[in-house]
Amino acid sequence: MMSRHDAVTSSLKEMGGVSPHVVSRIFGHSGARVWSWLTTVDHKRIGILYGVTAFAFLVVGGVEALIIRLQLARPHGAVVGAETFNALFTMHGTTMVFLAIMPLNAAFFNYMIPLMIGARDVAFPRLNALSYWIFLLGGLFLNASFLVGAPPNGGWFGYANLTTRQFSPGPEIDFWMLSLQILGASSIMAAVNFIVTILNMRAPGMTLMRMPLFVWMSLVVQFLIVLAFPPITVGLIFLMFDRFFGTHFYDVAAGGDLHLWQHLFWIFGHPEVYILILPAFGIVSEVLPTFSRKPLFGAQVMIYSGVLIGFFGFGVWSHHMFAAGMGPVADAFFAISTMLIAIPTGVKIFNWLATMWGGTIRATIPFHYAAGLVALFTIGGLSGVMHASPPVDLQQTDTYFVVAHFHYVLIGGSLFGILAGASYWWPKMTGRMLDERLGRLGFWVLFAGFNLTFFPQHYLGAVGMPRRIYTYAAGTGWGFWNFWSTVGAFGIAFGVFLFAVNALLSLRYGPPAGADPWDGRTLEWRTASPPPPHDFDEIPPVYSRDSFWREKYGDSQGRKPTPRPAVPDPHGIHMPAPSHWPIVIALGIVVAAVGALTSLALVLIGAAVLVGGSFAFALEHHRNAAHVRQEGGLGVDHRKVAMWVFLGSECFLFGTLIATYMAYKGRSVVGPHPHEILNIPITTLSTFDLLLSSLLMVLALAAVQRGDRFQSRLWLAGTAVFGLIFLGFQAYEFTSFVHEGLTLQTNLFGSTFFVLTGFHGGHVTLGVIWLLTLLVLDLRGRLGTQDAVKVEVAGLYWHFVDVVWILIFTLVYLIP
Amino acid sequence: MSEPSRREQPTTDAQPATLEHATLGTYLIVAGILTAVTGLEFGVIYVRRLAPVLVPLLLVLSAGKFALVVMFFMHLRYDSRVLTFLFVAPLVLATLLAVAVMTLTGEFLVFGR
Repeated sequence: MMSRHDAVTSSLKEMGGVSPHVVSRIFGHSGARVWSWLTTVDHKRIGILYGVTAFAFLVVGGVEALIIRLQLARPHGAVVGAETFNALFTMHGTTMVFLAIMPLNAAFFNYMIPLMIGARDVAFPRLNALSYWIFLLGGLFLNASFLVGAPPNGGWFGYANLTTRQFSPGPEIDFWMLSLQILGASSIMAAVNFIVTILNMRAPGMTLMRMPLFVWMSLVVQFLIVLAFPPITVGLIFLMFDRFFGTHFYDVAAGGDLHLWQHLFWIFGHPEVYILILPAFGIVSEVLPTFSRKPLFGAQVMIYSGVLIGFFGFGVWSHHMFAAGMGPVADAFFAISTMLIAIPTGVKIFNWLATMWGGTIRATIPFHYAAGLVALFTIGGLSGVMHASPPVDLQQTDTYFVVAHFHYVLIGGSLFGILAGASYWWPKMTGRMLDERLGRLGFWVLFAGFNLTFFPQHYLGAVGMPRRIYTYAAGTGWGFWNFWSTVGAFGIAFGVFLFAVNALLSLRYGPPAGADPWDGRTLEWRTASPPPPHDFDEIPPVYSRDSFWREKYGDSQGRKPTPRPAVPDPHGIHMPAPSHWPIVIALGIVVAAVGALTSLALVLIGAAVLVGGSFAFALEHHRNAAHVRQEGGLGVDHRKVAMWVFLGSECFLFGTLIATYMAYKGRSVVGPHPHEILNIPITTLSTFDLLLSSLLMVLALAAVQRGDRFQSRLWLAGTAVFGLIFLGFQAYEFTSFVHEGLTLQTNLFGSTFFVLTGFHGGHVTLGVIWLLTLLVLDLRGRLGTQDAVKVEVAGLYWHFVDVVWILIFTLVYLIP
Repeated sequence: MSEPSRREQPTTDAQPATLEHATLGTYLIVAGILTAVTGLEFGVIYVRRLAPVLVPLLLVLSAGKFALVVMFFMHLRYDSRVLTFLFVAPLVLATLLAVAVMTLTGEFLVFGR
């Protein structure tokens, strides 16, 4: 069996990378170890990095919560002032959502998904590392706001127009706005990676319906991420333009609508709830069958329920806005859709109960947390159904009843699920068992502390205690339960502390786990604990759902599947080489973000590092034979699948931009207006130009595929030139508009027009750079027929830019 | 040890990844149609008698061009159906959400507040 060190070293030699021996000579042995973690692309190590980092942020967010609770423990609390309190609840929410729960789930995605589907790694290991480093540096950037005395203070939801420059003139909101965009980029990259991994890298025999529930729920979550993050990204971009460049997206005096932010935020925000909770549902669906020694009851229905929850998740967002005044029809629609989503959720609860019913239950630590989730999430779900009714919601909104509700969902659901997963897979990750007694004690302390904290908040909300108040008068009668709520919060902290102590003790004193300590059902238990760098010596064949269980015990009649010969790796086991470019790119992004708050020079330096790092990243393995073919189970190249997933995400990005333009059309309070200024004949010419560039792109791909070097160069150059001509048209149009008095700041039309068409132009620019890079490679004789898929992927991007323009041309220019 | 049943046989979700590709002639025809339809779009906005149906007409023409590029230049007509799903499902969902945002936020408000 190859050791981790051997695998990485051999791979480095092959890649011509920086050898650990060289690093070791310069920085010593510990330096080499640090370097190996900085440059790792191993999904298991990246999973550990996510887990440790997210746990640290969980502690930070937890400390913020404890200060909040101390402040509210007594009437007229004076632990912190009102401004600090605002910052604390803003940072607590933002930290827990983006820096703790999401990345804790990502730790499991990274570590477990390849193992559970019988793969050696994720589809794009370096992209995986890039996602992590962007997340880490984005999280540090957000928390650096404390160091400069400007922590964000507008709530995790950042409602406009509180966040505009007029009402938040300092850098607080800038930190929040920029870091959320950085973290969003990290999440989308990771999600694209996992979708491709799950769809294209399953072991032979693992059909979609044979995938473990955790993998299924993870797949649903990745789709939610790639589709839900673009609307909030666009909303944040509008906010950034309003704050930095004086546009009017959230400027009511200029015709803007504050509901726009709320819609964009909650179109993301409600799917985000499922992004946080569905992985926990997946974990529980693995833990309960294992410790009940029964198959998951109604596994297929559980899958469909998860998919339905994800789908319905996009149709319920406005129940967060019942108090905003949307009108009775919209209220009724979103009330009904919200009530509908309770059905697949209820199916899951009942199926978990049915799984345990009649099972041979082993009440281990993970079972405790999983069963705890079923109980606590049910309470949170029931109060959620209450909010689905607009009249009831109007009574509860912005009270502590809502705080109690979502903490039952996100702690009782997500955190309990995460702790179930952490204790379930801890032996697999470390090779050591946790202490059962200490673990159960930790569970009961956490369970009791949690209920003591949040159950009374239902009552506090019902009697009228509003959210986000930093103190209250003694005569309100809220002091008694607030005091006990604070006591409970420290119970939660102690419970998490006991879990951490147990984990640390286990690393040193825990008994060895062995490969399959729980008598597991899924593929991760088929390999060593911890797994070797290459996960499996041989890719395991899959015979059914719970395939490993079938291999061990057979079906209900005890019939075992006939062992199949292992699938040989045609090119041997090739492990991806470490790379330092992910961390370089992430640094470039964060330096640019710091520059956005300090100086243009830093922005330019960050951008230069980002661009240079991206080129190096893209070309690092250009001539590596092991990277030529990346076809998976779908029979399609990973890169092509990834591009289509990304384009799906782009549909949401441009859909949001176009919808905003249309929503704001005709609402400018001053001119010039579109019909006075748009030059349709010129734009028609540029549209012809872009359409023809798509034809040249197709011809370029065909030429590369058949190895016709002359034509491939000709058509690649032609496509790029046509792209440049389009950009020239756009530059002419923008310049003439400015001369005629229309700028970003002139009116709502200027803001929406320049941002929409400017973003499209940015995409064209990126496409031209991509095409020119391919052309240079071709001219240098480094673009052969084996690289056709690279041209094809670039072509898909280029054609997409073309079809977006087809829509913009019609909706912006032609429709009166 | 018994023989595995049909359900136990390892299977995959894989379909034929690609069908036949379009020919150069097809690409040229598609490009020709795209050019003609763009010209048509430009022309119809100046025809007063088409004013009552102008918006739906332009939307249909635009959707047709969109579909032609996606099906032929982007090869979805010839590629795995999984890829079609990966693109079309988000496209439909994004369209529905865009219409919802326009309806709930903008001048297209039909429900009243």
